[in-house]
Amino acid sequence: MFLSFFSDLIEQDFMLRALISGLILGVIAPLIGSIVVIRRLSFIADTLGHFSLVGISVSLFLSVTVPGTLSVILAENPLYFGIALSVIGGLLIELFRRYYKTYKEISMVIVMSIGTALSAIFLSISGKTGTLYNYMFGSILTISWDSVIMVAVAAVLVFFLFAFFGKQIISVSFDENNAKFRGVNLGLFQIIFIIMLSIVVSVMLESAGVLLISSMMIIPIAASMKIGWSYRSTTTIAIMFSELSVIIGLWASYSFHLPSGAAIVSVNVIILVVVALLRKAIQKHNIAKHPSEPTE
Amino acid sequence: MQIDINNLSFAYGHKLVLEKLSLIVNPGSFLVIRGKNGTGKTTLIKCLLGINLVKNGMIFYDHNDINSFKDWTSVGYVSQVIDEFNYEFPITVNELLNITRLRKVKENRKLKLLDQMGILEILNENIGSLSGGQLQRVFIVKSILNHPSLLILDEPTASIDKKNVEYFYETVNQLNAEGTTIILITHDEYLDSYNYSHVLQMNSDFSYAFRKRNAIEEKEAK
Repeated sequence: MFLSFFSDLIEQDFMLRALISGLILGVIAPLIGSIVVIRRLSFIADTLGHFSLVGISVSLFLSVTVPGTLSVILAENPLYFGIALSVIGGLLIELFRRYYKTYKEISMVIVMSIGTALSAIFLSISGKTGTLYNYMFGSILTISWDSVIMVAVAAVLVFFLFAFFGKQIISVSFDENNAKFRGVNLGLFQIIFIIMLSIVVSVMLESAGVLLISSMMIIPIAASMKIGWSYRSTTTIAIMFSELSVIIGLWASYSFHLPSGAAIVSVNVIILVVVALLRKAIQKHNIAKHPSEPTE
Repeated sequence: MQIDINNLSFAYGHKLVLEKLSLIVNPGSFLVIRGKNGTGKTTLIKCLLGINLVKNGMIFYDHNDINSFKDWTSVGYVSQVIDEFNYEFPITVNELLNITRLRKVKENRKLKLLDQMGILEILNENIGSLSGGQLQRVFIVKSILNHPSLLILDEPTASIDKKNVEYFYETVNQLNAEGTTIILITHDEYLDSYNYSHVLQMNSDFSYAFRKRNAIEEKEAK
């Protein structure tokens, strides 16, 4: 079964597209995810995904209302609107976060509600509710080369930001209050980070789906932060978990006709459970061996 | 760094905490702030750090109004409580200090400071596995790593045990000797270990006494 999977990988164009986009997302999702977790924004990707869906549905709605070639472009590349709306959603979250200073999570609920309501309305009046399933649960196997390129461009952007501003990004995330003593403009940092995150979320929309984007970002980190001993090791392990999930998930999706996003996330969850159980077992073993020493 | 506090008042809502405080701290001074709880010590520090927005009165850093002051990397700060930091996500002491270190500061300085504070051996340990005292010392190193010209310390020795607190006194005194201006809130029992130059006594009736060290010692001797 594995063999035919690998031969098909090379022979079938759609499998190659899925694998390339999956492997790229497998790196950037946990990388961004680490910052999202440190900043305690684990739900933010969900919110942005819902808002990005507004862009997709508006694009689909416009494709049935405007005539000619523009209609075709809008119908085939709804992601452009998706990215734009995701960024707007991100900026809205920041706006509301500054408004509700002590209850920052309120901002995410507000933005998510607007996103869900608007996308339901536009999808309904465009009559294209059939495509909803793909955007909710993702369908990496039907991804186009255009989308693969967008994923790659987003990845380059993320690498560029981490290569040049990685120190600042990590330092401010750990300790927002001391940002200015590090020479970082906190307001500007938050805006740049949310724009970067919005772009990553929207390019993940086709592969992972609104409901599973968060899982791809957070679960590998949730597993690795229990066994990592440094920031570097934690993110490296998370990326390895994430890539493993993409490969096994794609294989499972292809071989057993499972939805791809769900298959990838399921593998992620299995890894999380295995890590948690192994860690418990090792702790128990250590306690049995050296009863007097604390394990943590 | 010279600090000029001019007629500073501050209130949380309707509750007045500071009233018409004025003083000038010259570059290289070592100011100790004393006073009972609720006299506005931490509020004053928050004003100096730009956390509390100064609306009544003024603060100048080297003649620049604090409300438009930009050069915050020249200010170091250690707070009383460090629980705002995120401990559950793994990061080593070394990583934490490296992301804090500005480009112009040499790697050597980090190791020297850790050694001075007696915590060089925990360089590669995860922050989450450290004791409260070790953590506080890491945060002190973090705050002085970038050569601040002003160092503000709010009861920094609260969680450090007696055995290790000596490292701290030595480091702070040495920094001051090298020209760093220091503002420190501390309890009286630790006072003698510091080579401070000035004292600000804050009282709950909004009266403030700002004196040179010698003046107090003479008074106490009588």
